[in-house]
Amino acid sequence: MGLLMTRSKYHLLFSVFFLSIAALIPFELMAHGVDESTRNFLLNNTGVQFIAFMYIGAKHMVTGYDHLLFLVGVIFFLYKSRDILLYVSMFTLGHSVTLLLGVLWDLQVNAYLVDAIIGLSVVYKGFDNLGGFKRILGFTPNPRAAVLIFGLFHGFGLATKLQEFQLPQDGLFINLIAFNLGVELGQFSALIFILLIFSFWRKHPTFNLFSTTANTLLMSAGFMLIGFQLTGYFVI
Amino acid sequence: MQQTLSTTALIKTTVIALIIAALALVSIILPAEYNIDPTGIGAKLELTALAAPVNNNPKKVESEQSSDSVEVIVPAGRGVEFKFSMQKFQKMTYEWKTDGESLYFDLHGEPEGDTTGYFESYAIATLNEMKGSFTAPFSGAHGWYWKNKSSNPVAVQLKVNGEYAVIGLKK
Repeated sequence: MGLLMTRSKYHLLFSVFFLSIAALIPFELMAHGVDESTRNFLLNNTGVQFIAFMYIGAKHMVTGYDHLLFLVGVIFFLYKSRDILLYVSMFTLGHSVTLLLGVLWDLQVNAYLVDAIIGLSVVYKGFDNLGGFKRILGFTPNPRAAVLIFGLFHGFGLATKLQEFQLPQDGLFINLIAFNLGVELGQFSALIFILLIFSFWRKHPTFNLFSTTANTLLMSAGFMLIGFQLTGYFVI
Repeated sequence: MQQTLSTTALIKTTVIALIIAALALVSIILPAEYNIDPTGIGAKLELTALAAPVNNNPKKVESEQSSDSVEVIVPAGRGVEFKFSMQKFQKMTYEWKTDGESLYFDLHGEPEGDTTGYFESYAIATLNEMKGSFTAPFSGAHGWYWKNKSSNPVAVQLKVNGEYAVIGLKK
């Protein structure tokens, strides 16, 4: 037992280091929305630009660490392909609905608050993976419903990124569909990598040793996102 | 499936998660993103430089009156931006007109050093000429976004007068 503790402490230190480095890079890159060249494109675009919007959507998803962290949390203990497909579909359904309706109906939500809720979704999933709700409430709240509901917030997050640019009505719907398709494409490619890593890791003895640490760090990353976005909300 | 952690372990992991997050936020993320640096660690790591507003703005024109007249071509079916660098509370009077065609425009300002894509609009309409003035509510890039929905290029004659430095066309 003593040996196990020191080993897990070593792992904790190692992963804290790794995660901090990993977290630093994209924060500057995609901190809140889109980069300069994409911004210029969106400001100057007119009419239908199918492939371009698809690309922006895919890029946003692949570089959007908040969405990816949530996905990692969701698939962490999913072993069957059927389950993975089901849960990812719930997430897709959720974020597509609010992305499309949010932009089309021009629903104004505060980007910082939505991003803070997205951070909360990461904390929620990490806590859930640790069996937290089962321990506290005596049962686990329907995980499918949770993924769907948090998916709705992730969609609002995606919508606010586009709403920053008063996108012309001309061709808006088709561009939105393209953006949404791009998001799913990006999610799919990111998932392939995540699942590949997980399928190797699960076979390794460190998975059981490490899963508690990993979900703790997931929660921690979620807390960071919440703090980061809420500070933005109050300061800016 | 993972076993359910004991209540003690749950509290422990949650507290550890919070502590790591708080440390990262206070020492690294907030200094780098918002220049909020309660511990001074951010400054030592030179992270606050990331959040500090860019200071290469042309200060020499401050409270100096300039006057310019430019022609901006808005290509068919496209939008262009023409911007001026202005400090907070500097004023500009302007006058622009097209060769007849009405253009959708958005007169707006973006705060200096902002990376979030935030901007504030002062006037949005579809017109072929406009006269007016404004006072910059914050330091940054202020100017027009014109959009040409017609199938021919439209020339905009823009005359400005006030305290500013020309940034010019943003592509």
